[in-house]
Formats: sequence, C-alpha cells, structure tokens
Amino acid sequence: MLLEASNIIKTFGGFRAVDGASLTVNEGEIIGLIGPNGAGKSTFFNCLAGDAQPTEGTIHFLGRDVTRTSPEMHARLGVARTFQMPVTFEDMTVADNVMVGAFLRHPGRTAARRAAEEVLDFTGLAPLGATPARSLGTPGRKRLEIARALATEPRLLLLDEALAGLTPAEVRLAIELVRRIKARGITLVIVEHIMEVILSLAERAVVFHQGKVIASGTPRAVVDDPAVVAAYLGHHMRRVRRD
Amino acid sequence: MILLQVVVSGLLMGSVYALFSSGLTLIWGMMNVVNFAHGDFVMLAMYAAFFAFTLLHLGPAVFIPGAAALLFLLGVIVYLGLVRHIAKGPPLAQILGTFGLALVLRYAAFWAFTANFVSLPDNLVGGTFDIHGLRIEASRLLGGVIALLITLAMHLVLTRTALGSRLLAVAEDRNAAMLMGIRPDRMQAIAWGVGAASTGIAGALIALFFYISPTVGESLALIAFVVVCLGGFGSVPGALIAGLAIGVIEALSAYFIGAVYKDVLVYSLFLLVLWVRPQGLMGTT
Amino acid sequence: MRQWKLVLAGFVLIAAWPLLVHDVFYQRVGALVLLAAISASAWNLLGGYAGQVSVGHAVYFGTGAYAALVVYTEWGWPPIAGAPVGMLVSMAIGLVVGTPTFRLRGHYFSMATIAAAELARILASNWPLLGAAVGLMGPPRPRSLADLSFISPVPYHYLFLAVLTVLLALTAGMQRSRPGYYLAAIRGGDRAARSLGVPVLRYKLFALMLSAAFTALAGSLYAVMVGFIDPDSALGILISVKMLIVAALGGAGTLFGPLIGAIILVPLEETTNALFGGGGTGITFIIYGAIIVLVARFQPGGVAELWRSATARSPRRAA
Repeated sequence: MLLEASNIIKTFGGFRAVDGASLTVNEGEIIGLIGPNGAGKSTFFNCLAGDAQPTEGTIHFLGRDVTRTSPEMHARLGVARTFQMPVTFEDMTVADNVMVGAFLRHPGRTAARRAAEEVLDFTGLAPLGATPARSLGTPGRKRLEIARALATEPRLLLLDEALAGLTPAEVRLAIELVRRIKARGITLVIVEHIMEVILSLAERAVVFHQGKVIASGTPRAVVDDPAVVAAYLGHHMRRVRRD
Repeated sequence: MILLQVVVSGLLMGSVYALFSSGLTLIWGMMNVVNFAHGDFVMLAMYAAFFAFTLLHLGPAVFIPGAAALLFLLGVIVYLGLVRHIAKGPPLAQILGTFGLALVLRYAAFWAFTANFVSLPDNLVGGTFDIHGLRIEASRLLGGVIALLITLAMHLVLTRTALGSRLLAVAEDRNAAMLMGIRPDRMQAIAWGVGAASTGIAGALIALFFYISPTVGESLALIAFVVVCLGGFGSVPGALIAGLAIGVIEALSAYFIGAVYKDVLVYSLFLLVLWVRPQGLMGTT
Repeated sequence: MRQWKLVLAGFVLIAAWPLLVHDVFYQRVGALVLLAAISASAWNLLGGYAGQVSVGHAVYFGTGAYAALVVYTEWGWPPIAGAPVGMLVSMAIGLVVGTPTFRLRGHYFSMATIAAAELARILASNWPLLGAAVGLMGPPRPRSLADLSFISPVPYHYLFLAVLTVLLALTAGMQRSRPGYYLAAIRGGDRAARSLGVPVLRYKLFALMLSAAFTALAGSLYAVMVGFIDPDSALGILISVKMLIVAALGGAGTLFGPLIGAIILVPLEETTNALFGGGGTGITFIIYGAIIVLVARFQPGGVAELWRSATARSPRRAA
C-alpha cells in the first residue's frame, strides 16, 4: 500500500468541501478521481499533495504520516504533482524548468543536467530544450509540468486535469505518455473531467459528490452506477472538445 | 481625564487614518499592486488645500471636495498611464513602479515648495469645544467626523450599490467578472480614482489642523500599511477598526514616550503584526 | 561564459582605470563606481535573483557603516575590523524582517523593509553610542596600514575591485548551481517551486542573509573611505534608492547589470554634483524616481535586457 487517506474532512469556514473521504492507493495503479464541479475532488487532491491541510483525518505515504507535511517534504518523500492551470517557470527554458526538478535528487549540476535530459527525451520535449517556457502553448506547458514533476523521481504522481483543454489528437498523445509513465513503475492518481480518458486509462475510478466518495470501482462499473448518474444529472458532464 | 483626552484625540486622528487606508485597501484588494505613493497622494492633497485657500481664497467647503476630485483624477491617470502596465509585468516592476512614483511626487513637492513647513490658519475652522472638561479642537472634530462618515459611505457603496458589487466582482475574480460583462479595466481605474479621492479628502482634512511639508508622505504611507495589514487586506471595515486603533495607540505612545518614539512604536507594531497575525483582524489569508 | 572575451576586456579596463586617468577626481569616481556596484550587486542577489524587492536595504549598509566606526570610537580598533560585526548583525536583522514576511506575498516584504530602514534611522538618530544625529568619525590620522586610511583613491579602487570580483564570482557560481536554479524557480512561482521540493523559505532567507552581509561590507568600506557617517548618509532613503536604481537600470537578475548601472549612474551623479553643487538633492531624487518609473513601465529588464535583444542570441537565463 503506497498511500492511504483516511476519513479526510476539510472545512473552509462553515463549508465542508471534503466530508469524510477515504482512499487507498496501491503501488502501480492508475486511479481516476472524478465527480461534478464543486464535488470536493480538487480539495481532496490538494490534501494528498500537501498543499492543503485536512481539518480532520490522516494521510499516510509508505507508512509515514504526511497529514501535515509541507509540499516540499512531499516531493522529497516521492509525491509529485502537476497543477490545473500550468505554472511553468516562464522566464526559464524548458530544460532549465526540468532541471529544477532534477536538482531534488541530484545536487550537482552535471548529474542534474543528465537526469533532466533523460526526462526530456522520455517526454518528447528534447527538441524544445532551449525554448523559453513562455513560448509554449497549453499542451506544451502541460507536458513540461509533467516532465518537471517526473524529474523529481516520484513514486506517486498526482495529475490535476492534465488533459483538459487539449484537442482529441493531443489527448491521445497525453494518454500514451501516462501509460509510459506507469510502465516505469510510477503510481498515478489523476483528476479528470473527460470520461473517455478515465475509461481508457484508469484501472479504478473514485467518484466524489458533495465532499464524499459515492462510488469506487472499475470505470465501467462506476459509470453505470445509478448513484453516480444521479449525481451527474444535476451537472453537465464534460466532453472532449470537438475541434 | 487627560488620558481620555488623549484617547479621543487619537480616535479622531485614527478615523482620518481609516479613511485614506480604506482607499489603499480598496486599491490593493482590486489588483496585486500596492500603492507605495499613497502617502504622497495625501501630501499632495494637503498642499492642494493650502493653495486653494491661500491663492484662491476658497474655504474648506470648497477645497475638501475639490481635493477629492483632483486626487480622483490623479488616481485614474496613474492607473491608466502606469499601473495598468506594470500590473502585467514582473513583481519587480510592480513594486518599483509606484515606489518610483512616490519619489517623484515627494521630491517634486520638495523642489517646488521647499522643505519649510506651511500651515493653514488656526481659525479656519476655529474654536475649541469644551465637553465636560474634554477640550477638542473644532478642526480635529470636524476632520474626524467627516472621515468617519466618508469611510462608512465607502463601505456602503461597496456593499450596497451596483457599482460596488461590480468592483468587488473584479476584485474577486477578474476573468469571471469579464464573462459577466463587467469591464475590469474600467473598474480598476475607478477603484484607483476612489482610492486616491479618499486620500484627497483625508489630506484636505489633515491640512486643517496639521503642519504641511513634502515629506509627510513617507510616515503616512507606513501608517496606511500598518492599518491595512492589521485590518486585513481588502477589508474596509477592517481598515476602519484598525485605523481607529492605530490612532489611539499612536496618541497614547506620543503621550507616554514622546513624539519621536511614537513612530518607532508604530513601525515596530507593524513588524510585530507581520510576525503574529499577518492576516489582520478581519482578514482570512 | 559566452562573452568571456568581452568580460575580460572590461575587467582589464576597470583595473587599469586609475593608471589611465591621473586626475584625482576621475580616480575617485572610479572607486565610487565600484563601491556602488558592490552594494547594488549585493541587493541584486535578493531583489534580482530571488525576486524579493527590498526598498529599505540601507538598513544593512548603515549597519556595516556604523559597525566599522563604532568599533573605532568605542575600542580604538581599525574600522575594517568592524565589518564582520556589521555583517553578522545585518544577517540577524535580515532574519527578523524576512522570516515572517517571506511566507506572505511579496508586497509585505517590501513594506516591511521600509519600516525596518526607518526604524534604524530613527534609532541611530537618537542613540548616543551611534553618535545620535551628529554621527561618527573615523581615525583623523592613519595609525597603521590596518586603518585603511589613504589620501589617494587608488588603493580603494583596487580594494573595492577585489571585493566586487569575489562577490560576482560567488554570484556566477551560484547562478549555475542548485541555489541559482532554486532562486530562479522561486522567482518563477513559489507554489510550483514548492511542489518540486524547493525549500522556499530557507532559500529566500539564504539569499537575504548573503545580500545583507555583502551590503553591510559595502557600508563598512564606505565608512572606511569617507571617514564620517551620520543617520542620513548611512541609513537614509537615498542609499536604498541608489542601490535599487543602479541594479534595476543595469538589469536586475543579471550578473553584470548592477555594474553597468553603476558605470552609468555614478559618474552622472558625481558630475552633476560637481557642476551644480550637492544642494540639488530634490532634483536628484526626482530624476532617480523618474528613471525607476520608466524602467518599471517600459523596460523592467534594464540595460541588460536591451543588450540581450540587440545581440539577439537565443535567450539564456539561469544557466
């Protein structure tokens, strides 16, 4: 068992964004977190990443209590994440962005450079190494964020809507990348609105609604679950853009 | 009895602090640019009041709204000409932009008006009230009351009017506001105008009972920062309470440890607030 | 380094300067340029590389200056012996100012630096140990070489050049290694940096303390050269403004930006002072303020950015 979140409650003022959600992640899995907007999955996700502190409940990673641990420490322990709105380092080149990640495990410049180049090759960004990050389009930025996170050599990678806003062709490339990441032995938890992505990638889907987990199982089973359908009927279900 | 006098005097000054600090918190709440020139706006208003009286023989009833209008214009011009651009730039540009402006305004005043203090005549809003043994100068009383009313009015406009809700919408989420048909650029220009106008009124009021010199802006700016930090970023009610509190603290420390060290106390208080409770009294994050 | 031939030529020219000009005035300008470059390069570590804009850096400069002259007036030590004291005290001040504010948005830090500098100036104006409003003086006649009291500006020129070279070498080394990348990441975004394992607070404080220490050293050197300080000349807002305008005009966040800024601004200031007398301080500030606004509005990258677009190479930042 890689990660275990137990009974997470997160309140903002009087509002319960997450109301007693639990999740177990086993090594090598790809887990999809889905649910309508405002269901609490992003807040839950931020708790897993160390960006938000649960009001109640515990999170353990590799047996270690990380409930109140900082995001920096999370990265050091092997939990990496990307952001919904990409926050690449605009003034730096693509390669330098990745090097920041690589420096976590390789304090020396040469070793960090080598590790960064390996990640750039792996993610197909090598030709763009010297380009400033600000001149990339959205798909490039999302891929760069993933590469940067990979450079920290995580055991667990948390992807926050990494495929949103991509064209169908770009989505296919991204799915292929995620599969290769899994093949490297990295466990993934992905938050997604696009059902097609969940269906093709996730081995297990966890559905959030009003701060609680209302269903958990294979994507196929979960999609047919009447409780899930009811939750979504109250909201739009996002579809891949028909570009 | 003297203590009560000091406290009352502090409250009156504090309400003027609350007024121009509300302007700063409005500006800061709208966009991520802190107006380092805020204190110098107040200074300009003080001089505007002085010259309106000595050169144009206009009384407070005219020069107080006049200063407000003048500073409103200045705020809008500063926004359109400078702030709008630096807001899109790197953080260095955002801080240097208004800091440089502060220097230009302060030392242009220094060069134009020299370092000598000037003041409006004492009898402009004359007399001293004696209420149960408390002696309050009419000018300070007028200043404090007007400042309080205007600050409350600002709060009401922000929370109860359509314009106010548009301003708050832009402050909350610029993109969402755009989708609702609100023009963020226009709202931010208005916010800067209103924020500057608050310094206009405050400066004209202070001019009634205080010495006027080009360098008052620096300490007033720091007071505004303390009040805004203590009251909570973006909160006008917070600025009101914090302004009053700072006014009283300042008056008490001037009384107990002397005028020179009252500044030391206020600045140390500022650093202390940052250490202990940066979100202020009413702020969240 | 790509343009190393240019850098080497520049270094040789700067080193040869006092020998090329024989007029004491020009030699003095050269030394002052280097001193300004040291302060501005120190400011740049924090303001340019780490992206934390201090508008009250005079507090560190003044600490170094006062430390140097206090150890002389109190214990008769050669003023330069006060430099380590000044550096340590400055780092402590930096910790006090930075620790609470670095967790918040950048503006809080900038505001706090104004408060800290003003506090220091008021305290120095009223503390007898620091000479109160009158200030402190150094040794009227040099008692030994250690007093570093020279009539000619030339020894100062080489002393400052040595310090500047050390500082820039340190900066260059840092730029290419992990601290440099981490600081650039912090400048690029705290939240993203944290998610990659960057200990943001620790690195911001590291940049601040390094910056404070070297600024204090510059202050001590100033006190040694000029032999007299008072609250305004050592802790006034002019000091803070000069540091940041020199760095910003030349190019904040670049290695040689501060030096370029110093080469442009210091001779300008010295010449106008000589021609119009020092009494034009109002005008000096107006011009400085205007330059800062123009740089912020039109070219935040400073002269270095202009140079980079002019030479139109592929942009290289933190490497």
